[in-house]
Amino acid sequence: MSDSPERKKYPAFFEWLTTGDHKKIGIMYLWFALFMALVGGGLAGAIRAQLASPDSGLMRPELYNMSISMHATLMIFFMIIPAWVGFGNYFVPLLIGARDMAFPRLNAFAFWLAVPAAVLILSSFLVVGGSIQTGWTAYPPLSLKAFSAGAGTDMWILGIIIAGTASVLAAINFIVTTANMRAPGMTWLKMPLFVWAWFVNATLILIATPVLSSALAMLLTDRLFGTTFLTVGSGGDPLLYQHLFWFYSHPAVYIMILPGFGVISHVVAAFSRKRVFGYRGMVTALALIGIIGYMVWAHHMFVSGIPAWLQVFFSYASMVIAVPTGIKVFSWLATIWGGTIRFSTPMKFALGFIGLFVLGGMSGIMLANVPIDYQVHDSYFVVAHFHYVLVGGSVMAILAATYYWFPKMSGRFLSEKLGTWIFWLIFVGINITFFPQHILGIQGMARRIFTYRPEFTALNRVSSFGYLFLLLGGLLLVWDLLRQAFFRKGSLPDDPWQVNDIQHTLDWAVASPPPEYNFEEIPVIK
Amino acid sequence: MKQRLFILSTALLAALACAGAHPGDITNWLQAPASTTAVEVRHSFFLTLILIAPFLLAAEGLLLFVIFRFRAKPGREPAKFHENTRLEIAWTVAPALVLIVIAVSTYKLIESINYSPASDIQVEVTGQRFFWKYTYPEYGLTISDEPLVVPENKVVTLLGTSVDVIHSWWVPALGIKKDVLPGRITEAWFKARRGTYKGQCAELCGPLHAEMLIDVKVVSEDEFKSWIRSKQAELAVPSAAAPADSSAAKPADSTGTATGRQ
Ligand code: HEM
Ligand SMILES: [Cu+2]
Ligand SMILES: [Cu+2]
Repeated sequence: MSDSPERKKYPAFFEWLTTGDHKKIGIMYLWFALFMALVGGGLAGAIRAQLASPDSGLMRPELYNMSISMHATLMIFFMIIPAWVGFGNYFVPLLIGARDMAFPRLNAFAFWLAVPAAVLILSSFLVVGGSIQTGWTAYPPLSLKAFSAGAGTDMWILGIIIAGTASVLAAINFIVTTANMRAPGMTWLKMPLFVWAWFVNATLILIATPVLSSALAMLLTDRLFGTTFLTVGSGGDPLLYQHLFWFYSHPAVYIMILPGFGVISHVVAAFSRKRVFGYRGMVTALALIGIIGYMVWAHHMFVSGIPAWLQVFFSYASMVIAVPTGIKVFSWLATIWGGTIRFSTPMKFALGFIGLFVLGGMSGIMLANVPIDYQVHDSYFVVAHFHYVLVGGSVMAILAATYYWFPKMSGRFLSEKLGTWIFWLIFVGINITFFPQHILGIQGMARRIFTYRPEFTALNRVSSFGYLFLLLGGLLLVWDLLRQAFFRKGSLPDDPWQVNDIQHTLDWAVASPPPEYNFEEIPVIK
Repeated sequence: MKQRLFILSTALLAALACAGAHPGDITNWLQAPASTTAVEVRHSFFLTLILIAPFLLAAEGLLLFVIFRFRAKPGREPAKFHENTRLEIAWTVAPALVLIVIAVSTYKLIESINYSPASDIQVEVTGQRFFWKYTYPEYGLTISDEPLVVPENKVVTLLGTSVDVIHSWWVPALGIKKDVLPGRITEAWFKARRGTYKGQCAELCGPLHAEMLIDVKVVSEDEFKSWIRSKQAELAVPSAAAPADSSAAKPADSTGTATGRQ
């Protein structure tokens, strides 16, 4: 945009509302994700408070079910995924030496679709009957009119469809940008791993999300217009929904972790002062995870009555995913091996990520083993598994990315001293909160329950206690972010972490923060 | 970093201590598997754990090792290598081999969980918000919202369905979890030793999902016979207070409107 004199008259926020700059849009996604993290995290507190004793009676069962449904919805669709879209928006063009995304207006449009989707879903709390009570999976028949009459459920469905549309638009933008706008000389095999991870990710979103939208559309028309896609007794089949839902939602778990894999590679290399080990293996692993990720969805349905041969197929396919995942973990370790490690906060989070993610992956293998899953499916063991991979994995990676790239985005460091506190609070908090849940699940505690047998009290209390660590760590982080972003001035050099003498990525080759069009001259990669 | 080790090990120990704290806990299939299937599942659980433990220890151990060993010190230069084909092949092939062992070892068990041997007694399980109804077709008997009673050491086959939403019949000690869906029939089976076992609905089915509990009494053959006789007698006597369709006898709070705890 040219600096014409009329433009200057508009206040700054108007500039943000109308911007097509990938960096501003990225930053808006990140604040959006942070706000949603606060709401979703508050709900997590309510859930853990309710479960601190078997009969705490803080919430009516209906309210409890709304809380778990909304907590999951916000964390998945409005926190983790938008946070990655935010980092992707900011850094994919920078890392490939482009001046913006391929379609800047589409980019802005996608963000401004996600906002009303969130408003719609949050406001479902205010209508008669309240919000959705079916869990984020919204299985029919429970989610049909007969059992969930309120308009809150319709608003939720519509909101997810809109948010899904937004992420498909963003994905198209990423794919076209990466395919066409790389700086001269940047071949596919010279692309930084974060860009590779986002490219695979965008492909996943593009193929999977429309399937979710179609399942939700069936649900919505069954609810509102009397169609019977999913309605039993009129030829519909609730299992159809489960297949379609997991065809999206299994890849969705990778949509939440793949960009994290990319970031961890950058951070681990930067702070060990070595180049990434096994770059080609890492790229192959990303692609394989993306492909195999489509062949395993029914591992969420082992006990739903699918035939034994399908269980065998989906079990074996799920285990296969552990191989490329293992390649990534060992390659990160080999990257650090022989390096000279600086324990700056981004590196702390990256190392914490590796430690926790490995545990989550291991419980994943146990779940992929059908007989074990017959026992622990829909128990707290599953809750432990996905919190280790999502909080220990995705969220730790988002925090690593935040600390690593904040100086680039703002020209200021986040506090290292506070960062150390925040890291330990969150790392310890995750283990206290989620480790006991493995045992609860093995002992037989079902998930999505507002009360439990008295035998389970001790471990639930430990788990609820762990939440306090996470809360404190989270609040400290928010405070530091707000303080540094709005009330501090600073002007860091282009490469404040001094990584560019070891590995060259273009994000550290521009000013902090970068100028409006990133590169005065498009860089040429040798 | 000592801190980290300390925290991890305390957390693990505390967790294990809690796991052992309720030896009488009859929902726990790892401590007290009560059916042939549950015994085999426990076996598979430990086998899997033992097979993946080396990888868990290798990854976490190496992580701690590199953290301590390779910190930046004045005068130390980072190594320059960034490839090693042999190593990469090794960490691709080794996990793959172990996964093959895990996979092959579960194949038989998956089959045996899914296909019942010749059935000794059949029970039709119907899920309904928020209680269970059991029908013994051989005896023309239907009970609801009370414990399921079956004879010991007999192959009990369950045919499950639901009249409203999806529920899941889960009794950990018996090694069974199976969804029951409206419009479909799903199957499960078990052969158990004597005892009383607890379970609960494992698929979110509405406000009182958490209170949709299950009790199973596995009794001797004789006890079972006399229990059947007494139930038949009880239900055969027509009285105003006991309508023939036992599901209609449920109090209103179980049919949808949640009263819940306040
Ligand atoms: C080693 C690779 C992995 C394997 C073999 C694996 C396996 C499984 C299996 C079999 C289930 C179904 C459990 C059940 O519901 O009974 C499951 C659930 C889940 N997994 Fe994983 N997993 C792996 C990695 C991941 C990763 C990387 C993520 C996300 C970052 C993830 C997130 C989840 C979530 C969110 C659920 C629960 C969904 C729900 O029911 O609400 N998993 N996993
Ligand atoms: Cu999955
Ligand atoms: Cu239920």
